[in-house]
Amino acid sequence: MDRYRFLSPLSRASGLGSAKAGFTHWWAERITAIALVPLTVWFAASLIAHSGSDYQAFIAWAGAPVTTVLMILLLLGLFWHMALGLQVVIEDYVHGEAKLWALLAMRFLCVGLPIVGILAALSIAFGKSAPL
Amino acid sequence: MVKTDALIIESSDQVPRRTLFKRFPIPRNFGVSPGSSVERGRNWPAPANATRIKAFDIYRYDPDQKKNPRLDTFEVDLDDCGPMVLDALIWIKSRVDPTLTFRRSCREGVCGSCAMNIDGGNWLACTRFIEETQTPARIYPLANMRIIKDLVPDLTHVFAQYEMVEPWLQSKTAAPERERLQAPEDRAALDGYYECILCFCCTSGCPSHWWNGDRFLGPAALLQAWRWLTDSRDEAAGDRLDKLEDPFRLYRCHTILNCTRTCPKGLNPGKAIAEIKKLVAKRHG
Ligand code: SF4
Ligand code: SF4
Ligand code: FES
Repeated sequence: MDRYRFLSPLSRASGLGSAKAGFTHWWAERITAIALVPLTVWFAASLIAHSGSDYQAFIAWAGAPVTTVLMILLLLGLFWHMALGLQVVIEDYVHGEAKLWALLAMRFLCVGLPIVGILAALSIAFGKSAPL
Repeated sequence: MVKTDALIIESSDQVPRRTLFKRFPIPRNFGVSPGSSVERGRNWPAPANATRIKAFDIYRYDPDQKKNPRLDTFEVDLDDCGPMVLDALIWIKSRVDPTLTFRRSCREGVCGSCAMNIDGGNWLACTRFIEETQTPARIYPLANMRIIKDLVPDLTHVFAQYEMVEPWLQSKTAAPERERLQAPEDRAALDGYYECILCFCCTSGCPSHWWNGDRFLGPAALLQAWRWLTDSRDEAAGDRLDKLEDPFRLYRCHTILNCTRTCPKGLNPGKAIAEIKKLVAKRHG
């Protein structure tokens, strides 16, 4: 708050008015959180189930269509949820010009990393996985 | 009835689950700007004939002296003083130091004037028993407000935020001849919200309001917003929601529930805010 400017109390409080937005963000946070519950359980359970498998068996599982689809959904849900959450954290604690740069860097990672993951999942599915 | 061991706090009579740290373990005055750091002040001993003595560490700040705030220790003669923290403050003001400055009016928890930080939590001085406080009792003004003097915070901004929610009945329908009727169930929807005395204990204790209080309306104003949204006689719900739906004004609340933990009237501002968010969701489909 710029306390050295001569603003009326109401003008300080009303600022630039309501953005009439925020619901979509809040709702998407909740939806992705709910979606992540079964997806994470599935992912953890699968890893445990395959803890004894050799490389070939694991690749066979990872390349199956159902695994690929669930993996892509997990990546999308996870990074979408992460982007929404980190946006709130940055808006809470980072003020001034740094806020814009922090948001840009965060978005870059939260869009870039899932693309890497999705490409990896697809390349395994289409048999292009690099040999060990 | 005191409820314990609750995960979600619904009212300030619930005792915290875990109290590992009484306060966050950083040194006092850590990161405080040089002009605001609190220094050791004077000792004001009890009268010579006093037998039951209790010490109060009280925050003092006088804008007329170009000095930092300080923490004075007052020894209060409990046999000569009423049972409440406010009684001790009045005793100090009339017997020891008449310059001690604080707000009070009703002395029975209905005016909201005497909100202050007692032993690290916000409460009304007139409804907190002295025997429930630590020794020495630590009395600070409400946190995150600019201080006018001693225990008197500047409430201009939080009242302006209250004004923003237009806390009055709005109705375009011509006023009825007699009172506006309300079903008992509709009237019951106001219970737990109309009792708010605007002491701002909650807003002062809200971390989101600490970091973004210029834009986030804070629990006190939002509880009042809900009080009007849920009033069956009000016709402005749509406009009210339009003005509230904003990433900062409403959605900066992260359901930390400090507000509910501290409300000295036992209200639940956190729930009121959740109800507003649910209403916005309902409106979207
Ligand atoms: S529940 Fe919301 S309003 Fe209450 S203390 Fe937490 S962030 Fe603040
Ligand atoms: S909700 Fe409670 S703490 Fe907040 S202003 Fe009202 S009475 Fe005070
Ligand atoms: S003096 Fe009125 S609430 Fe304490």
